Amino acid sequence: MAAIAHPDRNFKYCLISPAIFLLLLVGLFPLIFSLVVSFMRVTMLETDTSFAGLVNYVQLFHDARLWQSLLHTALIMVIALPIELLLGLAMAYLFLDRLPGRQLLVSLLMLPTIISPIVAGATWRLLFDNRYGPINQIIGWFAGHPVPALWTVNPGLVYPAIIFCEIWQWTPFMFLILLAALSNVDRSLTEAAEIDGARFWRSFRYVVLPAIFPVMSIAILIRGLDLFRIFDIIWALTAGGPGTMTETISVYTYIQGFRQFETSYTAAIAFLVIALLTVIVTWAIRRMGLAK
Amino acid sequence: MSIREREDTMINRRDFGKISLGAGLVATMVRPAWAASAADTAVKAAQQYKGRTITIVWEAGLQSLDPTHFSGPKWKELTGMDVKVVEVATAEMFTKIMQDYKSGAGAYDALNVIPAWMPDLAQAGALEVLDPYVEKYGYASELQTIAPTYRDNQMKVGGKIYGFPDDGDVFLMYYRRDLFEDPAVQKAFKEKTGKDLAVPKTWADFDVVGAGLTDVLKDKGIYGAAFFRQPPYAMYMFEERFRNEGGKFFDADTMKASINSDVGVKVFTAMRNENKFMPPGVEQFGFVENLATFLQGQSAMTISWPPYGRWAEGYGTDQEALNWVPKTTIAGKVGYALPPGGHPELAAGFALSISSTSKNKDAAYLFIQWLNSEDVSRQRVQLPYTLRDPFRNSHYSDPGYLALWPNAKDYLAALKQASQTGLLDLSLLQTDKYEEVLRQAISKLWAGDDPKAILDAAAAQWNDITQKIGVDKQKMVYAAWAAESGAYPKT
Amino acid sequence: MKGVPFHRRKETKLVLRYLIATFLVVIFVFPIYWLFAISFKTPGEIFAFPPVWYPKSIQFNNYAVLFKDGDAKTVGNSLVLSSVSTFFAMIFGTIAAYSLARFKTGGENLGVWIISQRMMPPVAIAFPIFLFYVWLGWVDTYIGLIILYTAFSLPYVIWMMRGYIEEIPLELEESALIDGCNRWEVLWKVVLPMARSGLFATAVFTFVFSWNDFLFALILTRTEVMTYTVQVTHYFGGQSNFWSKIAAMSVLGTIPVFITVATLQRYLVRGISMGAVKG
Repeated sequence: MAAIAHPDRNFKYCLISPAIFLLLLVGLFPLIFSLVVSFMRVTMLETDTSFAGLVNYVQLFHDARLWQSLLHTALIMVIALPIELLLGLAMAYLFLDRLPGRQLLVSLLMLPTIISPIVAGATWRLLFDNRYGPINQIIGWFAGHPVPALWTVNPGLVYPAIIFCEIWQWTPFMFLILLAALSNVDRSLTEAAEIDGARFWRSFRYVVLPAIFPVMSIAILIRGLDLFRIFDIIWALTAGGPGTMTETISVYTYIQGFRQFETSYTAAIAFLVIALLTVIVTWAIRRMGLAK
Repeated sequence: MSIREREDTMINRRDFGKISLGAGLVATMVRPAWAASAADTAVKAAQQYKGRTITIVWEAGLQSLDPTHFSGPKWKELTGMDVKVVEVATAEMFTKIMQDYKSGAGAYDALNVIPAWMPDLAQAGALEVLDPYVEKYGYASELQTIAPTYRDNQMKVGGKIYGFPDDGDVFLMYYRRDLFEDPAVQKAFKEKTGKDLAVPKTWADFDVVGAGLTDVLKDKGIYGAAFFRQPPYAMYMFEERFRNEGGKFFDADTMKASINSDVGVKVFTAMRNENKFMPPGVEQFGFVENLATFLQGQSAMTISWPPYGRWAEGYGTDQEALNWVPKTTIAGKVGYALPPGGHPELAAGFALSISSTSKNKDAAYLFIQWLNSEDVSRQRVQLPYTLRDPFRNSHYSDPGYLALWPNAKDYLAALKQASQTGLLDLSLLQTDKYEEVLRQAISKLWAGDDPKAILDAAAAQWNDITQKIGVDKQKMVYAAWAAESGAYPKT
Repeated sequence: MKGVPFHRRKETKLVLRYLIATFLVVIFVFPIYWLFAISFKTPGEIFAFPPVWYPKSIQFNNYAVLFKDGDAKTVGNSLVLSSVSTFFAMIFGTIAAYSLARFKTGGENLGVWIISQRMMPPVAIAFPIFLFYVWLGWVDTYIGLIILYTAFSLPYVIWMMRGYIEEIPLELEESALIDGCNRWEVLWKVVLPMARSGLFATAVFTFVFSWNDFLFALILTRTEVMTYTVQVTHYFGGQSNFWSKIAAMSVLGTIPVFITVATLQRYLVRGISMGAVKG
C-alpha cells in the first residue's frame, strides 16, 4: 500500500515529464526507424527501400544460428545470475557490520566494474594465455607440473572462462546494491527477532528478505537484462568462437549489423529481441509483484 | 656488449638513418627542372587550397604516427592545408567508413582502405573513381612504377582506379640464421631426422625441419617454429598455404566452394599437427605474442609481415613509439626467405582512396597523390616508426634504406621477390562473410574437430552466402579476381 | 558455539570475517593489480616466460607519455560526459521514480515501457541514432553524448530508486505533510535523506555504465569528443599492441571513479538504526 491520498495531479506528471521527454527524444526515432527498415531490404550493397513484407521476419525463423545464439545467451544468464546474486548477498552480509578498513576494501571491490569491459576482456585474455599469463602458472604450481589449459580455444573451457570473467566483473554490482539495501533494513526489527530467539535463517526469510525484496528484484531484473546483452568479454576472449560456440545474441547482432551491414535484418532481429524480452520481463515483473 | 658500446652502435645506426634520410631528401630537391615529379605537381596544385582542412581516416596507433608526425605537418608546411587525422581502430575502420557513407554525413575526405574491401566499397558507391584525377594531375607514370603485384591487383575494381596501393604488406619467413648455420645444430638435426638442415622450401620440408629443430633445441627453450595462430591471422596463412598447395577457392563454372577439397583437408590437418612442435598454447598467439617469442629467441622460424624483420634488427625500436616491442635478442642473427611454397600472401595492405561523399575531393586527392608519390613514399617507408612497407620498385633498391642495417639488402631482396610472387587476399562481394566462415573454421580446428567435417561445413556456408548474394553476380566478381596475376600461383 | 563467552565469539567472528573479506578482495583485485603492474613493466617483462609478477623498476614514463600526447584528455572527456549525464539522470530519474512509487503514475505499463528502453540491443539502435544525430548536428559533440547517456541511464535510475523509495515507510511522509510541508519539501527533506544509501549506490553504477560505454562513443564521435574507452581500443592494432599504454590508460581511467567511490562511501552504509518510526 503506497499511494498517498489526494495526489496532486500536476505534481505527479510534473515529476515524470523530464524523464519521459528525454526517453522519447532518444528512443523514439530508432524504434520507428528500425520498424520501418525491418520491412525493407536494406543491405550493404543495396538500399532497396521498397516494401518487402515480412521477408526479414520469415528469415529469422529459418536462421538456426540466431536461435543458437539465444540459447548460448540463456545458458550464460542462467548460470551467472544466481551465482552473482548469492555471492553478492553473502559478501554484502560480510561487510554489513563494522570492519576495520571497510571503506578501502569496499572501494577496492568496486574496481572490476569500473574497468572498461573491453580492457577487462583483453586483460583476462592475457591472464589466461598459456605462455604469458599467470593463471596457468598458478594452476601449474598446485598441480606440480605445467598444465596447458587453453581457456579461449578449448571448447570445454571457453564457457567456464567467460562465466568466470563475467562473475568477476559484475558480482561487485550486486554486492554494492544489496549492501545498500541491507543497511536500510530497520535494525530494531532484526534485533527484536534475535531476542525472540529466531535463528538467522528465519530472521532472514521473514524479516530481511521482504524488506530488501523490492531492491533485490530490480537488481536481478537489471542484471538479467545486462547479461542478455553481454558482449565485450566474449568478444575479447573468444570473438564468439570456437566456431560459433560462444556466440551470444549481441555478438551475432554485432556481426550482422556492423560488419556486414545487414541493416534490415538486424532491425528485424532487434524487434524479435524486444518482443521476447518484453514478454519475459512482464512475466517477471508480475511474478515478483513489482507493480502492485 | 657493455651498455656504452651498445648505445654507440644504436646511435650509429640512428645517425646512419638520419644521414641517409638526409641524403634522400637532398636527392629529391636536386632535380632537373624538366622532370616535374608527381609530388611537386601535387604541391603546386594544392596551393589554391591554402587554409583548407581535409580529414583522412587512418588506422589508429602506430600507423597514424605517419600522418600526425611526418606527412601531415610536412604537407601543411608545403601547401598550407590542414590535415585532420581521424584515427580509427583497425577492427572498426570498415564500419565507420561505411556508416559515414550511408548516412551522407560526408565527414571524411581521404581514406585508408584495405584492398580486400574495395569491391564492397566500390559497389556500394562509397569510393570516388580516381581516373579523372590521375589524368588531370599526370600521375599515371608514377603509378606505373609501383611494384607490379600491388599495382595490378590492389588498385582497380572493374577496370577503374579506386585507390593507390600504399603499403607493401606481405608475409615473409624469418629464421634464425645462427641456428641454421650452427654446425652443432646441423649435426644433431642430421642425427635425429637423417636429413640436412636447410631453410624449408615446401610445407612438407617445413614440417620435418620444424619438428626436428624442436627436438634438438627444446632443452634450450627454443622451438622449431611459432606462428600467430589466432583465427584472424591464421586465416591469411590458410589462404596462402591452400593456394600454394594447389587449392582453388571456387569452381569457376559453378561457383561452388572447393575449400573442402583434399588440398584443404591436407592443409588443415598439417596445420594442427604442426602445433605439436610449437610452444604450447600457440593456438592463442596473436601478433605480439608471436613477435615476443621470436624476438626473445624462443622460435627458430616464423612467418609474419615485414615489420618483424626491421624490429628484429632493432631498427626503430629505440623510438618511443615502438617501446612496446620487446627488445630484440637476435639482432644480426635473422635470415629472410619466402614462406614455404614460394608464394606469400599479400595479407591486408592499405590503399589510399577518396570518399565519394567528400566535400573536398580535389584537395584530398592532391594529398594522397603526394603521399603515394615516389619521393614522399620513399621517405615514409623508411620512417623508423612506420608500419608502411616498401611497395615501389624504387624502394627495394633505395640506398637510404639499404644502409639502415647491415642485412637490409637481404631484407629488401626478399621483399622484392615476395612482391613478385605474392598472392592476393580473396576479394569478392561481401568478402567479410566468407572470411568469417574461415575464421570460425580455424577456431573449430584448434578446438579439435575433424578437419574434413569442418571444411565441408564451411564450404556449405560459402555456398549459402554465394546463393544469397546472387551466383551470377559473384561469379563475375570472382572471375575478375581470379584473372588477376596474383590470384593463384602461376603453375 | 554456545559455550564460548559472547565477546570472544564476536572477536573470532570479526577475525574470520576480516580474513574472508581480504581473501575476496585479493581475488577480485588481482587482475587489476596485473594491469597496474603492466603499466610499469617493460615489454620483455610483459611477455616474459614464465610470467613475472612485478616490474623490476617503477617508472612513470608510460603515464607521462599519455599526458604528453594528449591521450589523457580522453579521460577528462569521459569524466565530463559521465558526471553531467549522471547528475541529470539522478535528478530526473529520482523524481520520476517517486512519482511511480507513490502515485502509481502510468500504472504498470509505463514502468514496463521505461524498462523496455534497456532491452534494445545497442547494436541495433546505434546506426539509427547516428543518422538522427547527423541530422541534428550532434555528432562528435558533448551535448549529443550527454543527452544520450542521460536518456540511457534513466530506466536504470527510475527502477532502482523506485525500489529504494518503496523501502521507506509511508508514515514518515504523511507525518511531514501533516506538519505542513508541501510535496516538494517532502521529497527534499524526508525522502531523499532516507534514500541516501540507495542514491549513492544508484549514482555509482549510473556513472559506471556511461563511463564504460564503448559502442555509442565509437559511433557518435570522431575526433573532438573521444572517450577513454574508444581511445584505449586504438592501442590494439592488427600489427601492434601498446600494452603499457593500455594499462596506464586504464589505471588513469579508474582513478577518478575509485576516489569518488571511496570518499562517498559513508553515505552507503548506515550504522545507526532508524529508530525514528518506532520511537
